[in-house]
Parts: sequence; C-alpha cells; structure tokens
Amino acid sequence: MMEILTSRHWLEWAITIAKFAFAFVPIGFILLLIPLERRGAGFIQDRQGPNRSYFKLPYFGRIRLFGWVQNACDGLKLFFKEVYAPNHVHRILFALAPAIPFAIVLISPCVIPWFAPMVFTFGDAVIRIPGQTVDSEVGVLLLFGLSSLSAYGAVLAGWASNSKFSLLGGLRTSAMTISYEVCLGLSLMGMLLLAGSFRIDEIIAWQDAHVWGIVAQPVAFFCFLIAMIAETGRAPFDVAEGEPELVAGFHTEYGAMQFGLFYMGEYSHIGINSILVACLFLGGYSVPFVEMSTIQANVGISLGVLCGLIVLALLAFLHMIYRYSRWYKTSSASNKEVILREYSLYKLLAWAAVPVVLVLGILSALFFHPEYTIINGEMVYGAGVAFGTALIQLLTLLVKACFFCWVWIWVRWTLPRFRYDHVMHLGWKVILNIALINLVVTAVIAKLVLGGN
Amino acid sequence: MVRQIKQKPMNWIERLYIFEAFRGLFTTMKHYLRGFFRYETLPTVPYPEMKPEILPTYRAKHRLMLRPDGTPRCVACFMCAAACPANCIYIEADSSLDGRIEKKPSRFEIDHLVCVFCGLCVEACPVDAIRMDTCDTSYVHRTREDFIANLETLTQWNPNDYSQNDVLSQAAPGGIKNQQALESWKLRVY
Repeated sequence: MMEILTSRHWLEWAITIAKFAFAFVPIGFILLLIPLERRGAGFIQDRQGPNRSYFKLPYFGRIRLFGWVQNACDGLKLFFKEVYAPNHVHRILFALAPAIPFAIVLISPCVIPWFAPMVFTFGDAVIRIPGQTVDSEVGVLLLFGLSSLSAYGAVLAGWASNSKFSLLGGLRTSAMTISYEVCLGLSLMGMLLLAGSFRIDEIIAWQDAHVWGIVAQPVAFFCFLIAMIAETGRAPFDVAEGEPELVAGFHTEYGAMQFGLFYMGEYSHIGINSILVACLFLGGYSVPFVEMSTIQANVGISLGVLCGLIVLALLAFLHMIYRYSRWYKTSSASNKEVILREYSLYKLLAWAAVPVVLVLGILSALFFHPEYTIINGEMVYGAGVAFGTALIQLLTLLVKACFFCWVWIWVRWTLPRFRYDHVMHLGWKVILNIALINLVVTAVIAKLVLGGN
Repeated sequence: MVRQIKQKPMNWIERLYIFEAFRGLFTTMKHYLRGFFRYETLPTVPYPEMKPEILPTYRAKHRLMLRPDGTPRCVACFMCAAACPANCIYIEADSSLDGRIEKKPSRFEIDHLVCVFCGLCVEACPVDAIRMDTCDTSYVHRTREDFIANLETLTQWNPNDYSQNDVLSQAAPGGIKNQQALESWKLRVY
C-alpha cells in the first residue's frame, strides 16, 4: 500500500484526486444549456423567452440575470414537488431508473482529456499529469460504452412504469440507441484510422500536428454529429418521447425530481457529447494556429492575450447593456426604474472587472517569464507554466464545446421531427452507408498517402 | 367549385434534405441574432410593463355616449338588445324628463362574461349612443356580478382620452366642445 503511495510525488496524487472535479463539468453545462435553450428558442421564434424570474438585492432591486434565475426557479420547483409513484409500477425499478442516466453522466467524462499532458518540474521531481481523469488505452470506446448505458435508464423507466406509452417510449429509445451507436462508431472509425489510436488525447495530438478533424473528415463529422443528436434523443430525432404519439415517452409516469433527473441527464449528455465532438473533430484543447510549445514559452503573454479577450468580451457586454438601457429610457415601459437599476449592477460589475482583468493581463505579460530545465532533450517548465497552459487549453475546449451545445439547440428549433420509420431509414440506409464508404475511402487514401502499415 | 392546388415537386437538391436543412438553419440563426443583438426590435412586448398600441377601431369594452348635459344618449329603443347575438344587453326603459325625448334607460346592463364583442350593438344603435372604442381590452374583477357593466360604469369615461376630432366625445361634459354643445342643446343639467 505504502509502495503505491510513495511511487508518486504527493503533488501528483493531489492533482489526480482534484481532477475528479472534472466529472461535474457536464453538470455545469446544464446551467448553461437550460437558459440557452429556453431563451434561444424564444429568440428563434421571435419571442423573448423566460426572463421574469428574479431575486432581490438591497440596492439594485430585482436582479433577473437575463433569465438565468429561471434555472433556480425550475430546480426549486422540481425539488419541492412530491415524489409520486402510481400504484401499478414496479417500485424498485421505477425508483432506480432515473438515477441511471444521471449516474452515467458523472462517470462518462472520465476519459475526456481536459488539457494536454502536463509535464513540469516541482522541486527536484518531474511530475507528469495526463489530461484525463482515467488514463485509459481504450479511451473513446469506454466513453461510447458508458454513454450508451444511459439507454438502460430509459428502458427500465419504460418497463417499470407499466404503462403502454412508457413501454413504447422505452422500446423506441433502445432501438434508436442501438441503431445510431453503429453509425456513431463507424463514422468515427476514419478519424481513429488516421490518428491510429483510441486515445482521445492522441487523436487531438494528431489534429494538432496535421489538420482539424472537421477538415480531414468532413463527411464523418456530419455523420457523427447527426448520430450524436439522434443518440441524445432530441428533436428532430425525439421519437422516443414524441408528444403527439406517446405523451412523453418513457418518463410519462414520472414527476418532480425523478423527471428532473431524466431532464438533467439529457442535458448533461448533450454537454458530454459536445465536448466529445469538440475533441474529436475540432482539435479539442489545442488552441488554433498556436503551437503548445509557443504557449509554454510565452505563457505570460498568452495569459495576457486571454485577459485581453476577456476584457473585449466585457466591453462588448457593456456596449449591449448601454445600448439597451438607452433604448429602454425612451420607451413607454412602466418599469423603467427597476430595469435601469438592475442594469446599473451589471455596469458596475463589468466596469469593476475591466481594469482588474486588464492589469492582471498586463502584469502577467510583462513579468511572467518562465524558466526551464532541459530533461531528455526537451524543455520542461515549472508548475506555473503548466497550470497556465492547462487553463488556456481547458478554456479553449469549453468554448468549442459551448459552440456545439448551441448547435444542438439550433438544430432542435429548426428542423421538424422525423417520423419513426424515417429515423430508422436515415440511420440504417443512409448514414451507415455513408459512414462505411467514408471509412473505406479514408483507409485507401491513408494507405496510399500516409503509407501506413 | 373545387380548386385544385398543384404542389411544386421538389427538385433533387431539395429532396436531398441536407441543403434545405442548412437553409433552415440559416433562417433560424438570423432570427436568433436579431433577438440577441437587437432585442428591442422583437415583435413581442413585455406585456404588463409595455402595452401594445390598440387602435380605436378595435372592438374593446363598451361605453355609453353622453349628451352635453351628462345624460346618456341612449333612448332605450332596444335595438342593441335585439341585435345582440349573445343576449347580453339588458335594458329597462323609463320616461324621459326632457320633453323632446320620449324614453331614457333606467337600467342598461352589459354582461361582459357573455358578450362576444361582435360590435352589432354599435351598428344597430340609431343615435350613436353605444360605442366600443375604449381600447380597454383587459379588465379584471373579483366576482361574476362585477363583470356586468351598468349605467354608471358605462358612462364613466374621460373625454380627454379620446381624439379631439371625435365631436361626440368632446361634446360630453369635460370635453373641449362641451360649452359649444350645451349652448345649442339649450337645457340645464338635471
């Protein structure tokens, strides 16, 4: 026991344990996705979306946070509703089923690399930290295996509810998951073939060295994206819970937080899938047009640029706030004072943050000069550089993932639902074939051009 | 006559679906960006704080027009009650105190829970005594009885809320043409 403990530096253990916190990133995506979905849907349909829930602050009055407070209201409502089970259900399975998709969500991001493997010197020791929580050779296969397990939640819910709507919903979910898992795996095979590894960090390294997967494998990217959307069971592929036919599908009999768990499971599944697509086809944590070694050598300037981007975003935010409040002053609204008082808080916070971030960025650009030691012919920096680089890479990954989260919502509120047979036709007769042809073509080209083994 | 509308068959690009899907995505993105960057141009308004503009031609809550002396113009002829398809108007007639006019309403009640806002009463009135141009579309009461508008509530309107070109409204007490109208009416207020 002691040998295992002493085999690594204490800092390595600490970081390894701290990395478990990344399991909660998909849950954080729920907080982003729910307002994005509801207000995004509103804007797409020329509505305003839910923006009226608020909390009160002493001076600033009603703080609406642009509809973000709606999250808390939804959550509170679901938490405090009575957990109710109808008489005819299978008690144990009925209670177990909603936990499965949500538990899977906590486990499955374990193989996603959040940053490039960190190598840094700490005192005399050289510490290596892999970017993923579980440094597994099978990587993406493990992720697929885990995320397809969430279908069990739907199937169990459908079976345990003992209602024909739920049962049909569960059946459809299992059929969808099985069909589209095939397409998912096959469309990814081309990318795996090029990178020559199942490990996600090696796929990202390949993209970093050559081109992004979306350029190298555009067909595979679209097949993968469609299969991903279908696998999460959202519109236009939401046949599993199609309201016109099946009431709500497998969670017809659920209410309160049991329904909330399905709901949150679905959203965090979207979060995980967005991160995965970003990793596999959009270069993951690699910053576009900049080498990782460049970032490490100029980590102070890189952090300064990051701060500059944050300042730009803050200024854009301020510009929008000022524009809108100027319009609001001239409008005929009866709650002008309330809204303008609320906006004064945002102005205050943003104006307070701008100089702080700016000074931080300038200081880091001027005074953060890393020192390196050469180990085995490679430059190895200290812990500060490693953490700074990791932060930049993590943010890059999250920004890319947020873009794909938006794609999910965008597609949902654009395309009409497919009929069930159309979904199966698209899955088995179209996407599967395209993915197979793509795989063959990729294999031939890879053999001819890259001269692989 | 049966009219057959021929649907334009889709060409092969449209049948591929993917390109049309992208076109749809482009459209929704335009709408999203409009909502995000030009929030104030959204066609919806935050209702109780901002109210949509309602034209006076909109058939809203009723009002009874007034003579220059403040009595309702209604002559209790029952035309509106006869025209009403919902039978929501109840009138009781009384003899008028003005010698030139035969009758006046002693009760005039409109049940707004029954009213269908068709505007036939306005069309039927021979003396232009009832109008629906108050622009009042939302009125809330505690009990069903409160929804029955009577002679008092129907005549409680302010001439200043109406257009200055609206002669009949301005001739009522408080209006800008009231003095002029009173002179031609030549009668004291009872």
